[in-house]
Amino acid sequence: MIWRADTAAPSPRPSVLPWAVYPDWDAIYADNVGRIYRLMFSKVGNRPDAEDLTSQVFTAALGPLRPGAEIGQVRSYLTTTARTVLAEHWRRTLGHQVTEIDPDILDLAELPPGAGDDGDAGAQAQRILDALPERYRQILTLRFLRGYTVRQAATELGVSVANAKVLQLRALRAAARAETAQGVRDVEANIVGEGEAS
Amino acid sequence: MRRQAVDRYVDRLLGRRRPKSFAATEDELAMVRTAIDLAAAGPDAHGPSPAFVDRLRDQLREHEQTQEATPEPRPAWRTPPRRRFLAAGALTATGALVGAAADQLLQSRDQSPQAQPPDAPGELVPVTGTWQPVAQTSEVPEGAVVAFDLGAVTGFVRRTGGRLRAVSGNCTHQGCRLNLDTTRDKLACPCHGATFSLAGVNLTRPHQSGTPLPALPRVPVREQGGTVQIYAPAGDHSPPAA
Repeated sequence: MIWRADTAAPSPRPSVLPWAVYPDWDAIYADNVGRIYRLMFSKVGNRPDAEDLTSQVFTAALGPLRPGAEIGQVRSYLTTTARTVLAEHWRRTLGHQVTEIDPDILDLAELPPGAGDDGDAGAQAQRILDALPERYRQILTLRFLRGYTVRQAATELGVSVANAKVLQLRALRAAARAETAQGVRDVEANIVGEGEAS
Repeated sequence: MRRQAVDRYVDRLLGRRRPKSFAATEDELAMVRTAIDLAAAGPDAHGPSPAFVDRLRDQLREHEQTQEATPEPRPAWRTPPRRRFLAAGALTATGALVGAAADQLLQSRDQSPQAQPPDAPGELVPVTGTWQPVAQTSEVPEGAVVAFDLGAVTGFVRRTGGRLRAVSGNCTHQGCRLNLDTTRDKLACPCHGATFSLAGVNLTRPHQSGTPLPALPRVPVREQGGTVQIYAPAGDHSPPAA
């Protein structure tokens, strides 16, 4: 069923219908700010950078995007804008594309808010942790997934703070190497397409 | 001591502070990437804070009102390249170009003097990047493969079946820079031995274990004015100071 958001809507969730339209800029923003933030957070891993990059995406989009735009088009536009914003972030900071946004990821265009994002990130983290010895898995779980401070983690594990720091560094190094052996970085492994030009 | 730099980076990341740049080795980049993957499943990843959402909304409204108060010259439009418009669901890794209905939302910031009248069909082009030449058309004949490095975006462009195609030059395993194999028919990672087809499909994995690596992301490419151009962030292309 095709409908437009400025007419009687049969569903309260226009996001599942990418061809519906946004009635105004506030609707564009409200429906996408969480998606873009979560996308950026998954690529930079910290709130300050994720907020900055989210702001950059919407500021860049403010001019080109107009009310009446189709939802799928808006989300695709925001995704591709996010891609270049992220690339520029890594160029400015570590000088290397540490993470990338593949525009073939269509979550933003097709999924309702919140769907897929956390699950994918959780699965990736679990794969990383599963490849580690118990002690390493514990310190990384406490620090990254549960938000423990290093002191809280040290107490939980019954070690000194200094030992917890060393354990964390070794665990992270081991995790990075385990990914090498595992050969898995993210979940969109089924992309077989190619770039194009007319 | 090198380990301190990556350690500080991760500590700031975990401390919900902005990490500081450093000159990272490949191993350290892999650690940063792993830390990001783990943090992405952490407590801050679930969504933006309501305060941030409200603040950004206010900023955007203010920005919009400022724009309305001081109208800019009518934006230039340009003829879209000869390409099929893609349904939103099929939109693609060419990324920068979003096929779209002609009269909706499409507005180009391209200030080209060759701009077309405003009633010409448009296309939506992210304004955060620019098309940048990486080779002359004559340098990419049928079957040729050319490496490019624009700083933020590196990769390989080739012509096959008369069409240009480009993929990222960073291995999807740990981000190492890929090399064109001596046989020039595949891309090889110098770090852990992964290989990819020129189309970006993973051929061999590190240590021959695990599931296949993700394909190389495609990179927007076009041909214009006798040059092959890649869409990439604008600005200084030199790497940042360590």
